[in-house]
Amino acid sequence: MRRRQIRAVALCAALASMAVVSGCSSSGSTGSSQSPSSAGGTVKLDFWGWAPGYEQSVALFNKSHPGIQVTFDKTPSGSKGGYTKMLTAAQAGNAPCLGMVGYETMPSFAAAGAMMDVTQYLAPARSQFAAWTWNQVTIGGKTYGAPVDTAPMGLLYRKDLFAKYGISKPPVTWAEYAADAAKVHAADPSVYLGDFGNDAYNYAGLAWQAGAPWFGTSGGQWQVSLNSPANQKVAGYWQGLLDKKLLKTDPSYDPTLYKDMAAGKILSDVNAVWDTPILASSVKGTSGKWAVAPMPVWDAANPVYGNDGGSATVVLKGCAHPKEAAEFATWMSTDPSSVSNLIKVTGIYPAATSGLSNPALSAPDPFYGGQVVFDVFKAETPHIDTSWVWGPTMTQTSTDLGDGLGTSAAGSTRMPDVLTTVQNKTVAQLKQQGMSVSG
Amino acid sequence: MSTAATTHSTPTTHHARRRARTAAAFLLPFALLFAVAYLAPIGYTLYQSLFKMHRDGLGLSAPTKVFAGLGNYSDALHDPVFRSSLLRVLLIGVVQVPVMLGLALGLALLLDAKGTLFKRFFRLAFFLPYALPGVVGALMWSYLVAPGLSPITSAAHALGLHLDLTSGPMLAPTIGNMLTWGWTGYNMLIIYSALQAIPPELAEAARMDGCSALGIAWHVKIPIVRPALVLTTVFSIIGTAQLYNEPAVLQHVAPNLSSNYTPIFAAYNAVNDNNFGYAATESVILAALAFVLSFGFLKLVGRRGAAL
Repeated sequence: MRRRQIRAVALCAALASMAVVSGCSSSGSTGSSQSPSSAGGTVKLDFWGWAPGYEQSVALFNKSHPGIQVTFDKTPSGSKGGYTKMLTAAQAGNAPCLGMVGYETMPSFAAAGAMMDVTQYLAPARSQFAAWTWNQVTIGGKTYGAPVDTAPMGLLYRKDLFAKYGISKPPVTWAEYAADAAKVHAADPSVYLGDFGNDAYNYAGLAWQAGAPWFGTSGGQWQVSLNSPANQKVAGYWQGLLDKKLLKTDPSYDPTLYKDMAAGKILSDVNAVWDTPILASSVKGTSGKWAVAPMPVWDAANPVYGNDGGSATVVLKGCAHPKEAAEFATWMSTDPSSVSNLIKVTGIYPAATSGLSNPALSAPDPFYGGQVVFDVFKAETPHIDTSWVWGPTMTQTSTDLGDGLGTSAAGSTRMPDVLTTVQNKTVAQLKQQGMSVSG
Repeated sequence: MSTAATTHSTPTTHHARRRARTAAAFLLPFALLFAVAYLAPIGYTLYQSLFKMHRDGLGLSAPTKVFAGLGNYSDALHDPVFRSSLLRVLLIGVVQVPVMLGLALGLALLLDAKGTLFKRFFRLAFFLPYALPGVVGALMWSYLVAPGLSPITSAAHALGLHLDLTSGPMLAPTIGNMLTWGWTGYNMLIIYSALQAIPPELAEAARMDGCSALGIAWHVKIPIVRPALVLTTVFSIIGTAQLYNEPAVLQHVAPNLSSNYTPIFAAYNAVNDNNFGYAATESVILAALAFVLSFGFLKLVGRRGAAL
């Protein structure tokens, strides 16, 4: 009797372990919000995203468009569960009409069939955007959304402390960066020029800059080149700095990183334009002491810069009002009042060509000592490679690379080996998902 | 006679039917919830695990769902990442469960012993870690082991030892420690209440026969609380199979903890990769293993119990 009871309990508990995970995949088979109601002639659209400032742009739109009402729902950021939420909702047939999706994740969304082809509604807006951003939202000839921003990278640095440690001007090349890192660390072993974080997309920006693509397509097959000589060169450079212990190794966007920055233990960060407001709000106490310079380059005679991010407002599968959704997406990226708001609050660098003359881009930023920081990014933009292609397995690739960056920072792996591991795992994942891969 | 039988049987069947209907009415809410929240997801998981997404070439348009039979199972069982996550959790369980239950039994016996002082205080103190939400406990431990913050690491440094509790080889012991801290009190309480149910005459009789306190514990108490030990072991096996909270929290301070550390991590990653069939398969395999291990254990102790 006793044993039978135990057995029944055990059975229930064992099965529960299965239900826990399957719960993630089978959630919401109800599919009720498939068709947003259009009561009283007003079209209602839901919009999922996480960036600060989007809510204000949505409010501006609602005020000027009485026939369309958009509701912005804040989700966790894409890699922290936002994308999973959208994908599962699309799978279950109850996704919102609009979603904030990074360019890097759009191929994965396309491969999942989670987006709606809205080429017919968006095509007229094409000329309003930088050509390469249009390529990022157009996959296999189908346009799925409107580009919002691009993300040129810069060197965000402590001007006062650079001077204190005898760095008269920010490093222009990676060789100078390495020399400055050694100089700072020699002057005070508790102080570091920069941080080697574990954010895979920040690292992608470094590869992007070095002309070291990760993915390509040829003859209907994927080519994965994470392990290419060009990529190994980048990995070797950072591994060299790690070997000499010239970099701090706090995790990216972690409180410990900002604690060290606030305490003057980390003097700079190579990061995207959208990080400028994030840094400003994370180390408020050091306001006015920071400045922005172009990111260091490999060849000073022929400077080329990197891009870390950029996202689109896409129309998700099952949207009952794709025309209105496309109208909103275009408006949010191009309307001057919306773009001003996104520049000021979100820190975007606009993808819309009209946005580049937006007055908000020439506002001095008190956190960066009154510098017009967007000028730096504006000057970089023509020198950013626009042929970069993202693969359809970026969730897996970025997770595995993030792990590898972390273990390399901790000293238990080496970056060149990490790239080999991630290369192999990515190829395996592509095959598991049924895609053709060469090599 | 026959008329009497019919007249007699009519109220009985009527009665029985009414009783059955009442029972059904009482059971219905449970049965419905059980079916919706339990059987349906399990059935759906099993169903999903049999399908793969079919894509052509670059796979950049909506995939089609095709029946794959046991294809996902074969993939998962050949997947080194998933296999090592299973092995890792198995090893943690093999070491941690006996340590924890040994501690729980010892503490329960001490609490049950006659001469123990401050019983109520100790009972509460041992149980307290379980009363704390698991994630809070994990957060606290993650600060206690994080390099740069850990008082344990700095104490070891002061003694001239190099100790990093978040390094690759130390991760399993660190997680085992977190689990033991959190769950020993809970298991102790189950064993302790079984001990409380032992009639005092039994121990009394053993004492009269000249049995020492240790002897009473070994020969009288432990055999009687055996069912409680079996129960806690089975719970612990299943709990270990579902390991997630502790490593998930620890990951923030332990970069060496991979994103596929436990089978649940692996299944969750498959969901993130939009590979629902594969996630379902990994879940089914994990559940089947937990099932086999806990029932294997029950069979094992059942056979031994019969021999005793």
